[in-house]
Amino acid sequence: MGTYRRIDCIFFSEFHPTLGPKITYQVPEEYISRELFDTVQVYIITKPELQNKLITVTAMEKKLIGCPVCIEHKKYSRNALLFNLGLVCDARTKTCALEPIVKKLSVYLTTLELESGFISNEESKQKLLPILSTLLEELNVTGACTLPIDDSNTIHLKLIEQRKDPLVVQEYDVPVFTKNKDHFIKSQWDLTTQQILPFVDGYRHIQKISAEADVELNLVRIAVQNLLYYEVVTLVSIFQYSNVYCTTPKVQNLIDKKCLQDECIHYVSKLGQRTNLRDVFQLYCGLTPGTTVRDLCSRYSHQLQRLIQFGLMKGLIRRLQKYPVKVVRDERSRPPRLYTGCHRMSYKELDERLENDPNIVVCWK
Amino acid sequence: MPLAQVIARQRQSVTCFLSPSANCDINIDGEFNQSSVIYSGYVKLSREMSSTAMKKKVLLMGKSGSGKTSMRSIIFANYIARDTRRLGATIDVEHSHVRFLGNLVLNLWDCGGQDTFMENYFTSQRDNIFRNVEVLIYVFDVESRELEKDMHYYQSCLEAILQNSPDAKIFCLVHKMDLVQEDQRDLIFKEREEDLKRLSRPLACTCFRTSIWDETLYKAWSSIVYQLIPNVQQLECNLRNFAQIIEADEVLLFERATFLVISHYQCKEQRDAHRFEKISNIIKQFKLSCSKLAASFQSMEVRNSNFAAFIDVFTSNTYVMVIMSDPSIPSAATLINIRNARRHFEKLERVDGPKHSLHMRMR
Repeated sequence: MGTYRRIDCIFFSEFHPTLGPKITYQVPEEYISRELFDTVQVYIITKPELQNKLITVTAMEKKLIGCPVCIEHKKYSRNALLFNLGLVCDARTKTCALEPIVKKLSVYLTTLELESGFISNEESKQKLLPILSTLLEELNVTGACTLPIDDSNTIHLKLIEQRKDPLVVQEYDVPVFTKNKDHFIKSQWDLTTQQILPFVDGYRHIQKISAEADVELNLVRIAVQNLLYYEVVTLVSIFQYSNVYCTTPKVQNLIDKKCLQDECIHYVSKLGQRTNLRDVFQLYCGLTPGTTVRDLCSRYSHQLQRLIQFGLMKGLIRRLQKYPVKVVRDERSRPPRLYTGCHRMSYKELDERLENDPNIVVCWK
Repeated sequence: MPLAQVIARQRQSVTCFLSPSANCDINIDGEFNQSSVIYSGYVKLSREMSSTAMKKKVLLMGKSGSGKTSMRSIIFANYIARDTRRLGATIDVEHSHVRFLGNLVLNLWDCGGQDTFMENYFTSQRDNIFRNVEVLIYVFDVESRELEKDMHYYQSCLEAILQNSPDAKIFCLVHKMDLVQEDQRDLIFKEREEDLKRLSRPLACTCFRTSIWDETLYKAWSSIVYQLIPNVQQLECNLRNFAQIIEADEVLLFERATFLVISHYQCKEQRDAHRFEKISNIIKQFKLSCSKLAASFQSMEVRNSNFAAFIDVFTSNTYVMVIMSDPSIPSAATLINIRNARRHFEKLERVDGPKHSLHMRMR
């Protein structure tokens, strides 16, 4: 899809018993120069050690991806049929997504040859040229191709986008939809995801979703991770009044980009009550280390949660966390008798104790 | 010279050597076993080959399908003629190293003869292929319908040899003679030989007629290899001494793996001038048959009222055949003599040059 992974040429090369390795068909015609082919032919029609392996050769600013096939049988002249159906791209193209396509095509052709002698028969081999044309066009335009070859064989190909591995999802993460939830046809998702979808609202964290949707915690984590992989959701932190946030340099985008402003206003405004940009921006700028959400709440009441949520999703603000660090290295002092894992204390009490301990410094970052 | 490094996705790395004009990156996805070394152009000798061994480069060229790989497989890889039917086409150049007589390594370049490859050899791979060549063996298919084209390629080879290895010895094999009617063979070969000698000038070539189905193959390859053995005169001299001491009519020395005759002595003329290659052929076939039964051929004695022939393991790299026509000499005596001579010849093989005296027990 898109020009990012454009296939410039698709070719079919084979070993002729007297002429040697040659390109039988290529679309577009004459794309691979004589010089280029001479340089790389030994990796297109290869020695036995390299056969049936996916090989990518980069030369003369082009990348050729192919899988040389060898079918041994005494019916062939020289006892074997050697061929290779490959793709040519620009040398800078990322071609990982094309590799499974090439491998799959080699398997298709092998099957066709074994079943009906598709390639060794001169007549049926000619059908390859229109097939190559169609493949090239459809893969470049739509990234997928379904092509019937004969009565019993159809080629199905799809370019799968390679994405980065998603983050591990923790129980305290809050998933929020990046696009409007209603855009998705829910029946296309798996059952688990369908069950948790109503509870993904940008406020409930994983553990809460698990409890309320009655789905096992790990399953929720995996389902959300899956949504994360497809960039359908993003993760934000739990909203608490004690949270402290600060702005990131990206907050400048709110001033510079009109579309972001519109999106923000749209996201934050309640029905009937339109928020203006000035208030929004003022609020974001009010988020500084030391200021909790509770402090700001007193100044700006409505839709604070949604504002924070939007800011987190777009990376305009980020949360500051507390990290206690023990600074005094005192071998003589005995470990605090309460921090052994046997004593309960409330969050507030823990906070107080840490603040008051002279040996411990708390860093916000 | 630029190299292309290949990085395999899994485990082993494969090193590919390309001809100098190519400058590529290659990426291969798959599993390889440790010994895979693929090369098209450069030679990488394995560490097993001793560094003191003499290395001689032998080019094996000819049109596609002319029989180069088949010949190589029979002589050096223990194929029988029938098995060569199964062979596939040679892709680009296949390199093999054959250890010969302990102090000689034959570096065999079996060059695929398809048009694309041939053109490559004369252009981008020219220096690489034609430099440092000791022997060029050019194979002609006697049945070929494209004589002009064959000659054209042959001459291109000669040009390249003249430029890069002018001292190389040239052998032309007129092959697949079994497909020619028996009564025509001599005539056709003579014609071809004349043409080739003429075309090869100023270079000299030696021509042989060959077929994988008879002993002519062994004759040609024995003669070729004979040219490459470093101390062959000395070997012959020692063999003569040995034969005279033990009163043998004829003594043949065979290379152990290929059974090519590398040296011989005869005290008088014999009827069949082709007996050497016939013996090579027969013994080799027999040896292969033995190995199919998981038995290894060691020695043989053939005796009738006129002669006794002894074929036995000689040195670590050779077999010997001794023909005795004196019926009064018992087998045991000959066998003892052969045994005693072994050490001497073993020493000869290992060292390059020095002379040793011959000590042997007489009957």
